[in-house]
Order: sequence, then structure tokens, then C-alpha cells
Amino acid sequence: MAAAARALRVLPRVPSATRQLHTTPACLKTRAARVRVGKGDKLVTYEQAHPPHHIGHRKGWLSLHTGNLCGEAGAAQRAVEDAFLRRFLYGTFPGLLADEVVLKRRGNLLVICALLGRALPPHKLYFLLGYTETLLSHFYKCPVRLELQTVPARVPYKCL
Amino acid sequence: MAAGAGRCCRAGLSHGALLSWALPFPVALSQAVLSRTAGGALGTPRWGRAASSSAAAVSGREGPQPREGSVRRRGRTPQFVRSAAPPRTERMAVDQDWSSVYPTAAAFRPASVPLPIRMGYPVKRGVPPPKEGNLELIKIPNFLHLTPPAIKKHCAALKDFCTEWPSALDSDEKCEQHFPIEIETVDYVSSGISIWNPKARVVTLRVKLSNLNLDDHAKKKLIKLVGERYCRETDVLTITTDRCPLRRQNYDYGMHLLTVLYHESWKTEKWESEKSEEDMEEYIWENSHSQKNALDTLLQIKTSENVSNVTKEELLASEVVKNYRNSVIALKNNSETESNMSQYKESVKKLLNIQA
Repeated sequence: MAAAARALRVLPRVPSATRQLHTTPACLKTRAARVRVGKGDKLVTYEQAHPPHHIGHRKGWLSLHTGNLCGEAGAAQRAVEDAFLRRFLYGTFPGLLADEVVLKRRGNLLVICALLGRALPPHKLYFLLGYTETLLSHFYKCPVRLELQTVPARVPYKCL
Repeated sequence: MAAGAGRCCRAGLSHGALLSWALPFPVALSQAVLSRTAGGALGTPRWGRAASSSAAAVSGREGPQPREGSVRRRGRTPQFVRSAAPPRTERMAVDQDWSSVYPTAAAFRPASVPLPIRMGYPVKRGVPPPKEGNLELIKIPNFLHLTPPAIKKHCAALKDFCTEWPSALDSDEKCEQHFPIEIETVDYVSSGISIWNPKARVVTLRVKLSNLNLDDHAKKKLIKLVGERYCRETDVLTITTDRCPLRRQNYDYGMHLLTVLYHESWKTEKWESEKSEEDMEEYIWENSHSQKNALDTLLQIKTSENVSNVTKEELLASEVVKNYRNSVIALKNNSETESNMSQYKESVKKLLNIQA
């Protein structure tokens, strides 16, 4: 019995008779950044109304930096920074963002252009402005400038 | 109502800041929290009228409603009515100082730019959207801060820091005569937190060999040492260094290389006397097969004609032999062309005294 156990331990491992299926996460390219047509009551902005294949033709870029040019480095770092900045601003100005945030990088300087609604009184907006600039410049170790504009309401482009 | 607004703002802020990172984007929870306290107004910004709205709505004044934030309850949905001052464009004079409106590079502000600009793809049977709330105009880089009067002001301010070009160096030849070595370095500017670029350490050194003090042997030896780095047409030696991590180190290494090349090319090693005909850079007619053949042929001709003994020096100094020498050198050193071949033909005919 002990000898049998020892023999089993010494034997090479037999491969199991299962098969694995390798899957990649689904990448629904035909549904990305597209607002589907509805009953005609859905108002969309210019940014939402145009699907991504119109970038470069009818839409500009929301984030401008040199990382995506030929022979330049840092594209991935800028992309990660952009993702964090958009989430941060979405949370710092809750319910106020009228449209996507535009990020511009001029050398070391990071300029964030945001279009806000007018639900907050000006002194609170100024506080949030200072808070964002200070926190982000300490976090990223670069000067951060936030340029805010207020619109009375979201500007609709189309009804879908 | 102001207190109510303050309370819901604080709640919204804390929830948004804490949870927006953890939950997938966009956050639905903060919206629920906000809508519980102040109704749907703060959940999403209200929708305005369509793009072809009139100027009154655009300026933000909402008709007869009161100016400061007041809550009017229409049924169950309160509305925050907060109007803004009319845009600055209405009070701008035509001859104002534009460089004070846009002193530095800034995003497009529709309330500061008194131009009726439209941008975007129009809807069917419509016009491009106006400038108010137009994200496309904000996205693009603008040059509103670089009008010609603004640039004149920049130049005037920078003039104090500039020095005159030295008047003695008024032509390229003089620059080359006083500064024969050209150093080329490239600085790279990119947007991002890091300013370092590994391509910036490359240093290129250019010098014309005619500016260096080299005799014939030294020049030939230097050209052999550097190989491909010498361009024969322009007589320029180019040394590119990038093996050191810093630009200053690469510059020092380049100058060191130039110094070493110069001194080494002046030295003559013992084994250089073994230079054979294959190592020669250009064809030399003296002591070559061509010279030997020509002289032998001429001597045979002379003896067959029974002319008195002519010496080799006399033959070499004669016109026909000199012509032949020049044409052979031209053929060997330069490529074969029509003129070279015809010149060779003429010289051979003269040498052998053949009339066509």
C-alpha cells in the first residue's frame, strides 16, 4: 500500500483530458461611442451625435499632445493621465459638465477646458477651480490650468 | 434655498469624488443622491433650445425671470434660474487693444471673441452650430494671442535681450574662415511631464579638410582612416557621435576624435612604405605599365628609324608623351566619357605619328 503510493508519486503526471477555450473580452466596435436612434425625444450634443469614424472629418480630438506623433514617446502615459483626468473632473463637478472635457498639453502645462452648466454659484465654482488645479498639479508635478466656461444649458445638436 | 443648494452640493461632491473612481464611468449613484435632495435639476444639465436659437437665449438672460438663483417650483421639478451677465463682446470697442483680451494662448471663449463664427457639420437643411457651447471651437488650437500687433509687442520686449550679429562676419566665407568646425545638435520639445529625449544626445561635427593643415600624405591617410565619413564632392568630413549618454560628452568625444585623426595622419608608420598600387587612391602615371609601354614603343620606333640615341628624359619631356600621359590619367581617374576617349585617340595618333 505504501509501496503503491510511492510508485504513484514517482510516475510522471498524466495530462488531464480537458480542453480549454481561450477567449478575449468582447470588443464591440460597432457599438462604441454611438448613441442609438430612439423615438425622437433624445437630445444629443454634437460630440455624442457623431460616431468615432467621424473623428478627423467632422470632429476634432478631445486631447491634444505630441505623444501620438511619429517617433515620439509617452503616448500610453498621456492616455492614462487623460482617463484619470476625465473621471476626476466628472466627479469634482457632479452634474455640471455640459460636454466632454478638452485636454490640451503645451509643453509641461496641462490645460483643461470644461464646459459647465450654471447650477452652482460663482464662489463655489471658483473654489472647485482652485481645488482641482492645486490637487492635480501636486499629483502630476506639472502646472495645471483649468479654463471653465458656463453655458445656460446643454447645447443640443440633434434629436435621436 | 441657498442652504439647500449648498447641502446638496457638498453631498454631491463627496460622493462623486469618492465613488467615481471605484464605479464604472459614468457614475449613476451620485446622480441618484443629488436627485433625491434637489430634484432633477442638478442631476444633468438642462437642455437648451436648438442650435438656431436667438441671441436672447444665447446671452443667458431668461426673460422676465429673476436674476439671482431663485427656485421656482413648476409642479414637481424645481428649476435653478441663474443667469449670467451679458457677454463682454457687446461692450467691446472696434479699436480696442486685442492683446489685452488674449494676452496668452487660451481656449476659445465665445463671450470674449466678437466674431459670428460657426463651426461643425450642419444638420440636414440647417447651418453649422453657433459658437456658444461649441466644443469644436474649443478643441482646436487658436492663434488669437498672436495677432501682428501682439507679435510686434513681443519683439519689442525681446529686443533688450538680443545682441547684434558681429559686423565682421558678414559673409559665409568669413564665417567659415574664422569658425571652420560646425557643430550640429538637435533639441526636442514635446508635451508631457518629462523633458528628456534620448535622441538629443547626438552631436554632428563637420569640417572642411582644406581648412586643416594637411600635406598630401596626411590628407590621403586621413581619408583612408575615416572612410565613409568624407564626402569627396564637398570636401567635408562629418563625424557623428552618440555613444555617450550626455551631449557634452559626445561633443568632447567628437573633438577628441578629430584631434587624434589629425595627429595620426601626420605620422608615418613603418608599414606605410609597403603601399602598393592597389592601395593608391588615384592613378599615377609615373612608374606605371602605361609609361613603360609608351617609352618602349617610342624607343623602338626611334631605333628603327635609326635616329641617334634619345634619352628617356627627353622622351618624357616631349609634347606627345605629355599629351598621352594626361589623357590616360583622365581616363583612369574620371569615368570614360566621349571627350576622354576622343582625347586619348588623338594623343595616341600623335604619339605613333599616324595620320588619319
